[in-house]
Amino acid sequence: MTILVGYIPTPQGEAALTAAIAEAKAHDESVLVINMSRDDKLVDAHRAPEADLGRLDEELSESGVPHEVRRIEHGTDPADQILDAIETERPRMLVIGIRHRSPVGKLLLGSTAQRLLLDATCPVLAVKAD
Amino acid sequence: MDNLQNLLDGFGHVLTPMNLLIALLGVTIGTAVGVLPGIGPAMTVALLLPVTYGLEPTQALILFAGIFYGGMYGGSTTSILLNTPGESASVVTAIEGNKMAKAGRAAQALATSAIGSFIAGTIGTLLLVLVMPQVVSFAVSLGAPEYFAIMLVAFVGASAVLGSSRIRGFAALLIGLAIGVIGIDRVTGQQRMTYGVAQLADGIDVVVVAVGIFAVGEALWVAAHLRRKAAEVIPVGRPWMGREDWKRSWKPWLRGTAYGFPFGALPAGGAEIPTFLSYMTERKLAKRPEEFGHGAIEGVAGPEAANNASAAGTLVPMLALGLPTNATAAIMLAALQGYGLEPGPLLMEKQPVLVWTLIASLFIGNTMLLVLNLPLAPAWAKLLQIPRPYLYAGILFFASMGAYAVNAQPFDLFLLLALGLLGFGLRRFGLPVLPLIIGVILGPLAELQGRRSLQLSGGELGGLVGGPVAWVCYAIIAVVLLWPLGRLAQRAWSARSGGPDDGPDAGGGAGGGVGGAGADRSASPTSTEVTP
Amino acid sequence: MSDRTPDTHDTVGDTVVDSATDRVPEKASGDRAQYGLCAGLALLGTLLLLDATRIGHATSSNDPVGPRPVPVILGVLLLLTAVLYAVDVARGGVGAAEEGEDVDLTAPSDWKTLALLALFFLLNAVLIEPLGWVISGTVLFAGSAYALGNRHHVRGLVFGLALALATFYAFAIGLGVNLPAGILQGIL
Repeated sequence: MTILVGYIPTPQGEAALTAAIAEAKAHDESVLVINMSRDDKLVDAHRAPEADLGRLDEELSESGVPHEVRRIEHGTDPADQILDAIETERPRMLVIGIRHRSPVGKLLLGSTAQRLLLDATCPVLAVKAD
Repeated sequence: MDNLQNLLDGFGHVLTPMNLLIALLGVTIGTAVGVLPGIGPAMTVALLLPVTYGLEPTQALILFAGIFYGGMYGGSTTSILLNTPGESASVVTAIEGNKMAKAGRAAQALATSAIGSFIAGTIGTLLLVLVMPQVVSFAVSLGAPEYFAIMLVAFVGASAVLGSSRIRGFAALLIGLAIGVIGIDRVTGQQRMTYGVAQLADGIDVVVVAVGIFAVGEALWVAAHLRRKAAEVIPVGRPWMGREDWKRSWKPWLRGTAYGFPFGALPAGGAEIPTFLSYMTERKLAKRPEEFGHGAIEGVAGPEAANNASAAGTLVPMLALGLPTNATAAIMLAALQGYGLEPGPLLMEKQPVLVWTLIASLFIGNTMLLVLNLPLAPAWAKLLQIPRPYLYAGILFFASMGAYAVNAQPFDLFLLLALGLLGFGLRRFGLPVLPLIIGVILGPLAELQGRRSLQLSGGELGGLVGGPVAWVCYAIIAVVLLWPLGRLAQRAWSARSGGPDDGPDAGGGAGGGVGGAGADRSASPTSTEVTP
Repeated sequence: MSDRTPDTHDTVGDTVVDSATDRVPEKASGDRAQYGLCAGLALLGTLLLLDATRIGHATSSNDPVGPRPVPVILGVLLLLTAVLYAVDVARGGVGAAEEGEDVDLTAPSDWKTLALLALFFLLNAVLIEPLGWVISGTVLFAGSAYALGNRHHVRGLVFGLALALATFYAFAIGLGVNLPAGILQGIL
């Protein structure tokens, strides 16, 4: 089985990756890292730079876990893309990083994490950055 | 030291809370639109023009000048961090600036660009204070024939000197002039080019033209070619420079200023040529020329200073003669006309408070910009994350609002769409926008001056060739227009003499170099290697 | 500096033209649509000349020129430019389409987006007086955002309404700019 990680270049994203690696090691599973980059912005802060993806690949190789790092560059909603990936890849578990959000922030922007928690058809592990 | 006294008075007027607030608003909006993709200062001033009719003319101009200067700062931020220069003036900055950022020196690139812009802007504005009154006192003695000739120089300059293709420049100019003809003739009251449409009798408002061409045209053009991929932005902390960077920057700043100001002040100067010249000079003078192409700080400092100094230079012909040399200045002139003020040498005599307050506000705005941009650069970069649909929907929204507000008639909105499609066509076919907008704004004035000259001479065409100023103007026009013929002759001659046909090639190479820098952002410095 | 021109004086249309065509690969075979532009220029020139024939001779000692010569000159110049332009196109001249931060010229034009945008734009022009700026502006914003690929419809409407209300209060009521209240007259 596979562990799917929604990765973003933030402490939350790193925390999610760490948790996923630990989970995969414990159960002898593989890791699929997905970085979603929205195509409707000139600049997307959640897009992992190339160098970052390379570093991820190295880290995963060092940990000895079978893995794949994938970038999705189309679509405007990360939640949609990850939900699609769950349908096609059928992972055992999805790992995401979450952070505190103010009530107003939630109201205005809607949360990717919330949609994933509610709509994912597989178990979701939500971790926080320390 | 009359000027100094006037300037001090200007400071006295600008230092009211309201005016300072407006200046701050202007530079903030300016920086924001400079950073944002797809929006530039010209478009913003056009969009805001109608809503500022409720302000005092002085305040509106302070706002616009702030946007004008601010756009220059914001534009360099994006070209350094993203290598996507929003306007032709920051193309050269991107060459070295983006390389610096990639090498981890984004903070220094942003710092030298912001501080250099500040220094160049301040010196440029000082030069404006010194030069403009001289130009005005010279210009008041000019008669209608001279004015007519100067405007022709502006037309020819905008269409033949700037841009890459003369024929396309002239096509754009003629479209603009034709739009300017529409409406009631000011002298005889006859309707022209209205074809019976009542709403056209007053002519097409310059605001509608500007908003249509700049805002709607741009939004449609981008919409049809939307880049469907996020760019990689280089993360940046607060800009700063070390001692070594200062040492390497200050001379390029001053040299860049020396290039930028005079070019900006010329009727067909613009910022492209001086930024390019500054880049070439710095490369030649650099102690470590091998760094060029890999992020040399001199290659950012010089062009950025040239860019801002030329912005200050632009204001000389705009305020002293009523001649626009770039798009933003053209729309600011339209704003003056909208307030019922007549641009030209008499402006300073009739509206000294307005002119000097505006100039004083430039000093203040420039200082605000330094403060806004140095510590806040990372915050500005965040603006790049606005989703494109909202950004361009916002442009169309404000464009519609502004165009409707001018005359409160829905007809203008249909016109706006038509002009937007024209703007789309211009971009599609590579026709420059500037000649068109200058044609619309200056066309009717030029006709008026031309007819006035002939009135003085009783219809004799000789009346158009007034004094020495007019002769010089016509000589310039002749040189510009005949230049390609001269090259052709040179080529024919060298072909006949059997020598290697290198003359025209060298010339073509030079032009290609400039165009290449503008056209291909990743242009390696070698492709821009030319001796101007 | 300007003589990268693929215009009238380049006998072979050599390097100069190539540098322009290189960057627009899909038009490398010569951009025929440019003839349409030439036709447009000629049409504009013709319109000017036609209109000029209608203008009466209104010269006087005050104005020996009258309103006619300028349109005539412009009309002739436009016709001339149209011809020269066509010659340039026939020789392979191509205008470099404008680039920008958000522009991707490698993809073909997206006519569907363009048509949708124009539609919402016209809708605003029709609705602005009966329904008022707040409603028509909201529709314009949300519609344009949709046309440009926004799929968060509620968010688009909320942003649009917020912008429309803000501009209405700030500009129409604050600065006295002409924006119609429409059916919301008295409520706003």
